[in-house]
Amino acid sequence: MKPVTGRPRGDHLLYRVVWLGALLLLMLGFAIAAILVWGTVKFVIDHGLNPSLLGTIYQPTHDQFGLLPFIAGSLVVTMIAIVVALPLALSVAVTVIATLPRQMQMIRQILSGLVAIPSVVFGWWGLSLLVPSIRWISGRPGFSLLAGGLVLAIMILPTLSLLSINALDRVSVRWVEGSLALGATPDQTLGRLILSVSRIPLLEASILAVGRALGETMAVQMVIGGRVLLPHGLLSPGATLTTQLLTDISLLPPGIPGHYVLDFMALLLLVAMYGMVVLVERTRRWSL
Amino acid sequence: MDSKAPDLAVRHLSVRYGEQVALSDVSLDLEGGQVLALIGPSGCGKSTFLRVLNRLVDRSLEVRYEGEVVLGGIRILDPDTDLVALRRAVGMVFQQPSAFPFSVFDNVAYGPRLQGIRSSHRLRSIVESSLKKAALWDEVRGKLRRPAASLSGGQQQRLCIARALAVAPRVLLLDEPTAALDPLSTTKIEELILSLRGDYTLILVTHNLQQAARISDVTAFFRQGLLVEIAPTREMFTAPKCAETEEFLTGRYE
Repeated sequence: MKPVTGRPRGDHLLYRVVWLGALLLLMLGFAIAAILVWGTVKFVIDHGLNPSLLGTIYQPTHDQFGLLPFIAGSLVVTMIAIVVALPLALSVAVTVIATLPRQMQMIRQILSGLVAIPSVVFGWWGLSLLVPSIRWISGRPGFSLLAGGLVLAIMILPTLSLLSINALDRVSVRWVEGSLALGATPDQTLGRLILSVSRIPLLEASILAVGRALGETMAVQMVIGGRVLLPHGLLSPGATLTTQLLTDISLLPPGIPGHYVLDFMALLLLVAMYGMVVLVERTRRWSL
Repeated sequence: MDSKAPDLAVRHLSVRYGEQVALSDVSLDLEGGQVLALIGPSGCGKSTFLRVLNRLVDRSLEVRYEGEVVLGGIRILDPDTDLVALRRAVGMVFQQPSAFPFSVFDNVAYGPRLQGIRSSHRLRSIVESSLKKAALWDEVRGKLRRPAASLSGGQQQRLCIARALAVAPRVLLLDEPTAALDPLSTTKIEELILSLRGDYTLILVTHNLQQAARISDVTAFFRQGLLVEIAPTREMFTAPKCAETEEFLTGRYE
């Protein structure tokens, strides 16, 4: 009998089409990175390795490209967001796992619905509630890093809660019962077993949330105040890399001197986000 | 509780999950230090009986129980019973090895640490003596920092027994401890159970009738939530009183 080799001709057609689609996407990704790198190169050609990049004065039409206020702004709002959102998300997850296991499916659906809310809605909410409240309490303008961070915290809360529920849900019932059977109280089981076992997935969830917060633009832009000076406190207005990019798209169109600093800022964001992705991969490997 | 392994007395125990009856009017006595084997078809209430004894049954939805269960002076079903104290006195080993995803050492030290034991010297000696009692020490000494998951299934099950012994219980509940194990590991667990007999009161759920015959002093046959027959194992396996028991033991059941 003749041995059967290969497959009938045409059997791979669909695979090839799909492969082309994947290749296209990959090339697009590289193209975006390449354009940003090219813009950055042009920036260096136009302005040299401008020392003002590390400064605090941002006047791109006057050769002053201090990005520090925006980097600081991005870091601070992201930090506020994660510090506020993580404990709340953990509380949601623990409550769902421990006391509402039968409602878990419903709560997951509600949270997924919240995840789907466009960020501009969170911005609007911040603008109409958060900014006036901060103004009323502090006597300052209200547009501030704090407002930006809190809006982000609320915005990432549903995502972070969902991921935390998934993380805690992966803890085996056998372990939980094993712990209880050893005379552990429910609190001890939560602290020493459930949270301890889930710390890597929870870290992973936090990194994803940080990535989301770091990249968010619209919601922050609506409440942060858009001041380009280095902020000196949580209540002072500021800007982040993303919001300043948004502001300057209209102020620094192509052809205007200093335009290419925007490419550099975008590249910075891209690298930071990529760093987050790598970090998630690393933590996944630790957990194995 | 005194140093003797505690006696068990069960009177008119009934357990229901919602409308479903899991155990109905079960009464039995067991002398401390003996091995009681619970046999019967799946869903007959053996596991429920076991989970009543450390009140893990409370975790089930809509569970209700009545009757009286006294274990070495502890009235188990009392609403005021201190569950933490009860579960320290009554250790449990599950069907699937449930070793925590920690190191071997941290698995065994989990229980003592819960009780506030911090001294690394004391923890070490508890871990060592528990592993020795569970006949695992020779295989894991020098590997105490390795993850428990790196052990074989049979070793993990003995680790779970060591973990249970580390809190110095007086009673051990074993829910089909060898169901997921190979014959060699099964033999080791059975030898271990025999070596613990006398010092502990052991209650074993098993689907393996030979196992019940080999290692238990008393055998109880459950069917559909009812205790059909309880007798010294030798009697039960040579001359069962009930026709139903005989049918089950000879494999003509179902």
